[in-house]
This record gives sequence, C-alpha cells and structure tokens, in this order.
Amino acid sequence: MNLTEDELLKQLSQPRSRASAFSTLVRSYQERLYWHIRKMVLSHDDSNDVLQNTFMKAWNGLDGFRGDSQISTWLYRIATNETLTFLSNKRMRNQHSIDELEENMFSNLQADNYFNGNELQLKLQKAILTLPEKQRLVFNMKYFDDLKYEEMETILGTSVGALKASYHHAVKKIEKFFEDVE
Amino acid sequence: MKKNNIISFEEISKEMPFSVPENYFSQFAEQIDRQVGYRKPITQRLHKPWMYMAATFVGILFMSGFFYSRYQQNSVKNSENYETYVMAQVDESAVVDYYMSNSSNNK
Repeated sequence: MNLTEDELLKQLSQPRSRASAFSTLVRSYQERLYWHIRKMVLSHDDSNDVLQNTFMKAWNGLDGFRGDSQISTWLYRIATNETLTFLSNKRMRNQHSIDELEENMFSNLQADNYFNGNELQLKLQKAILTLPEKQRLVFNMKYFDDLKYEEMETILGTSVGALKASYHHAVKKIEKFFEDVE
Repeated sequence: MKKNNIISFEEISKEMPFSVPENYFSQFAEQIDRQVGYRKPITQRLHKPWMYMAATFVGILFMSGFFYSRYQQNSVKNSENYETYVMAQVDESAVVDYYMSNSSNNK
C-alpha cells in the first residue's frame, strides 16, 4: 500500500486505522533506521533491540507527534536517541571505560557472522570507533548515507556549520589513524 | 590511491559491510505488528489478484455454456413449432389430393 505522508498521518491519528497505518510505517522505514542504528552499535542483535525500542517509542509517542517535521525525521531522531541511550547504558552496565567498550565492540565485530567486509573495511570500522559518539554519527550519516547537511541538521539538532566542522575533523582523525597503523 | 602505503578513503568501498539474517525485515515487521496488536485482515491474505482473474474466467465460461445450451434448445423448439404450425394450416384432403396428383404425374 503506497500512502502519502499526509494520508499516513491522518490514519495514524485515528484510533481505528492507527495500528494498520503503523504497520505500513514500520515496513516503510525499518530498513533505513536499522542501518542507521547498525552503523553505530555494529552488532545485529543490539541493532535489533534498539530498532524495536525505536518503534515502540514511536508507537507510544504517536499522540505527541503533531506533524511539525517529516515522519522520517521524527523516526530518525528517536532512533538516534535510542542508539545513544543504548550505548550509554551498555557502558554503565559493564562499567567499562570509553576505550574498553569500543574495544569490545571491535572484537565482537571481528567474530560477527553478519560482518562481511574486507580487511580495509574492518580497519575503517576500527578507525570510526576511535571517534566520539556524536562525531561517529555525523561521519556515518555523511560518508555512508550521503545525507545532506540540512537533513542532518533537522535530525541531530546541530547547525550545518557545526556538522561540516565535525565531519571534517572526523575525516582528519581517521586519516591520522591510518597513518599511525601503517 | 596509496601515498607511502597509507590507506586512503578512495580505496575503501562505501558499501555497508554488514548483513542481516534471512527474512529478518519481514519477521521484524510482523513482530512489531503483534506488539501493537495489529492483525492483518484475513481477506487481504486470501484474495490475491490471480484469484479474482480465475474467478472471472470461470464465471465467463459458465455463463457462455449456459447461454449456448439455451440457444440450442430454443432453435430445436422453434423448428418443431413451425412444422406443427404449417401442418395445422393445411387441410387433410388437400394433402391427400397433393399426393394423389403427384403419383398420377409420375406414372
């Protein structure tokens, strides 16, 4: 079923059609959100948990969504917040330092059956893991998804100028990482 | 391109190096459907477009068979009616005269 954004919003606002419209919404956005999350948490199982939390938050928050932004922007925001919360909780639960969590994530990635990258892609993931979380978000959204800075601004709530600077710094850090490992 | 053996971005594929288990997304969507209490109407699953087409085709076949047999019955009935009608219009003695004159002409 191909609904326009307005039709979908209308159906989501009516109790009778809400669940059916939400089912359409999940099918429309699940893949994009999954990959957005997966690039940050790396493991499939963790991504699955965060994606579930994202959609359940969206379902419970439907009454609060007034349609001020696009549905995709709203969902991306929830997914981003859920991802950052998940990583923060994981860090607290394990009582690891920042480095230890990222080191664990990288060693899990090496053993992951659902990682099928080559040696260079693995090195890039290792380099990305050295970035602060927000910078990682910006780098992933620009480098892999090629999102416009204006879109990223509405999702992350950071100005275009700050995003450009953040991406630039991330690239420089990754290049430095490559120089150091060679 | 490599500069002094240093990895550069151009060498690295921008393809996502991750995969998901088979049918993951369809199963995920069904799981969320259950969590929000949504049940797909059964009719949606049973009534597929090819079923509508097949039903239409069978309907057309049935109707054509029905009309064709009606047409055949009518044409037989009409010819029988016509013969009875003609016979009723002719006087019996005229028929006898007709046959008699024919037999005398043949001699």
